[in-house]
Amino acid sequence: MSFEALNRRTFLGATAATLALSAGLGAQSAERKTKHVVLIGFAGGVRTRETFGSPSNVPNLVSLAKEGVLYKRVKSSNLGHYGAALSLFTGVAEPRGIRENGRGEEPTLFEYARKGLGLAAKDVWIATSGGAQQTNYSYSTHADYGERYGANTVDGDGLFNAEFKSILETLGRPKKLDEREAELLAKMRASIGGADPKAALNNAESAAQVERFILDELTGGTASLRGPNAADAKAIRVARNLLVLFKPRLVAIVLQSADIAHGNFNGYADVVRQNDAAIGDLMKAIRADPALRDSTAVIACPEFGRDRDLNSRRGLDHGDGSEDLEFVSAVAWGPEFARDRVIEDDVRAVDLCPTVCQLLGTTAPRAKAKALPRLYA
Amino acid sequence: MAPSSSWTSSATQAGQAPLDDGRTQASPARALDAATLRSVFCDLLGRPPFAAERERWLGQARHTLLDALLGSEPFWSQWLEEQLYYFFLIDNFRPESERVLAIPADLAAGKLDPREATHRIALSPSFDQRNPGADTFVTVVLEQFTGITVQKNVRELEVGKAIYDGAGGTFLGKVGKRQADIVDIALHHKAFAETFVAREYERLLGESAPAKERAEWARRFHQTPREYGAIVREWLLSEAWDRRAARKRPVSNRLFARALYVDLLDRAPDEAEARRLRTALDGMSDAGPLRSVFARVLIDSGMVALPDKKSIRDPRAWIAQRFEALLGRAPSAQELEAFAAAFADEACRPATVLYALVTHAEYQLY
Repeated sequence: MSFEALNRRTFLGATAATLALSAGLGAQSAERKTKHVVLIGFAGGVRTRETFGSPSNVPNLVSLAKEGVLYKRVKSSNLGHYGAALSLFTGVAEPRGIRENGRGEEPTLFEYARKGLGLAAKDVWIATSGGAQQTNYSYSTHADYGERYGANTVDGDGLFNAEFKSILETLGRPKKLDEREAELLAKMRASIGGADPKAALNNAESAAQVERFILDELTGGTASLRGPNAADAKAIRVARNLLVLFKPRLVAIVLQSADIAHGNFNGYADVVRQNDAAIGDLMKAIRADPALRDSTAVIACPEFGRDRDLNSRRGLDHGDGSEDLEFVSAVAWGPEFARDRVIEDDVRAVDLCPTVCQLLGTTAPRAKAKALPRLYA
Repeated sequence: MAPSSSWTSSATQAGQAPLDDGRTQASPARALDAATLRSVFCDLLGRPPFAAERERWLGQARHTLLDALLGSEPFWSQWLEEQLYYFFLIDNFRPESERVLAIPADLAAGKLDPREATHRIALSPSFDQRNPGADTFVTVVLEQFTGITVQKNVRELEVGKAIYDGAGGTFLGKVGKRQADIVDIALHHKAFAETFVAREYERLLGESAPAKERAEWARRFHQTPREYGAIVREWLLSEAWDRRAARKRPVSNRLFARALYVDLLDRAPDEAEARRLRTALDGMSDAGPLRSVFARVLIDSGMVALPDKKSIRDPRAWIAQRFEALLGRAPSAQELEAFAAAFADEACRPATVLYALVTHAEYQLY
């Protein structure tokens, strides 16, 4: 709209429309039963054949679909695991190097949520299973968003493993400071003036909460989990514990162990089954918690599938451009969603980002995607 | 530690008149202060100096230190660690083969150059396991060795996959017939030199290399990969590195893991200690809280040689030494006053002073 075209009538019209939209969004947000969202990147490359094509593999996902909405044709992009999973969070499908260890340029839904809703760091978390690279999902390099709106990321296997636990068991826990010593420590720290303070992900309060969570979790059973999906199982367990402890608005889980499929089809199928079981445990925790059970939405979707045919090692790669690779199935379960609805139409994996933002009552202005259709009851 | 290769010929080869110590005219000599010394060690060896090294090198000329470090086995060990991290050959995928483990010694002895060392890494079983299947393997080689975006170069990807599976094809302009040819062709393509020089510059200077100079460094490296050490020497004597040292860079998790042991225990962590801590820190988008927890764990472990408070006769001098060793600078008058006042309180222990320094944001920079 040019300046000349902005006469009084169009200005008033535009203002009224904006106000109406704001009021609508506000009302929508106020009426929302959904207070918490769990987004599961059922990643590592998982075909529909091994999920909803083999219901006995995933009884818990099938159960969620019966009580929710199943999208049978979710178009994904073969952007490598990292790029494809990142696109779930940004709503923008962009190529990223498979082993690239850098942040994306487009804001993530975590940043949209924290900035748009004014959420604290403890309200937005990611539990991952793929180590250093996956911490990049936390926030982007975008000038208007970035670290100050990032999600706290915890890699279950990186942090809660027997080796690291053994170090702490050998060295012991840090001494508890008495009040006076803590006060003196704070004074000394405050006097140091050599570093430019920057917008950090955590403030002092949330950093202290994270410290406590780490120490408590290390003494729990997470570090002892074993098996081919151990990294994924830890991510799901960490998410479950975060959900129960902090009641965050948004928790994302990124799985990865299914990529064992390159050389081991049976191992891959086993990972799918075990991850489904772990999601079943997560759902039990949600259903058992009065503060979560009627206000939590859960959405699960792989980042892409795998090849149609086995490779020479009797495994499954991802690069043949087949429908098995490019179309996956997603399930959405929550207090506001339709029940037992199956959507046969094509949707896109990038649509998850604006969908989650909409659920939380905010928007994803830079996403090149739209909210999933026919989701609500 | 003696350099095994000649770094001093490079300025002449680059068309610049060398000074008598081999420095270029654009890089005046500077005496090493605590901050610069710490930065050079961190950049080249991936750790701060030990106490004895600090004593040995403080006040010496930077180029003398570079001549001692560049080309040494510890320098190449750190280089190898950084390459393995770049390729994500870490944790379960860390190469254990003798050929890969011998890379630092072979580089220091002049038996290998960095391109040949990269070739050895890429042909290790770990690289194959990390990047299983034709699509992943060829994609990673193209992306990480040559900087090519496969989605925009589908033909190269498809030909590479065919070669991987045993069919012939022309990949990046050269004929290949088997998986190893993909690596060989990519490493000898000029795009590898360009990509390698660009990322090494960014790793050491924390910013992108200027285009014109980058092209020249890439040309030299492509022609003679053994020039790498000479090129790094130029970088660390450049004004760009002076600016980088002045503005400070964030300490990576792998550097933090090593620095904390060196700073508090005056020894480097062994491979397992460093790996466990680095892996844990890498698991968090904000590693600050965990760094803080671990620093306090280590200080309180009884392993840190802390003086008894009563034995510290000049608290201000002791505090100033801690600042210099841990932050690479002397305390300001205000800082010294605040620390001395706190230290005078009976509730403040020597450990409390260390807590304050190593859990502060400034310790996360170098």
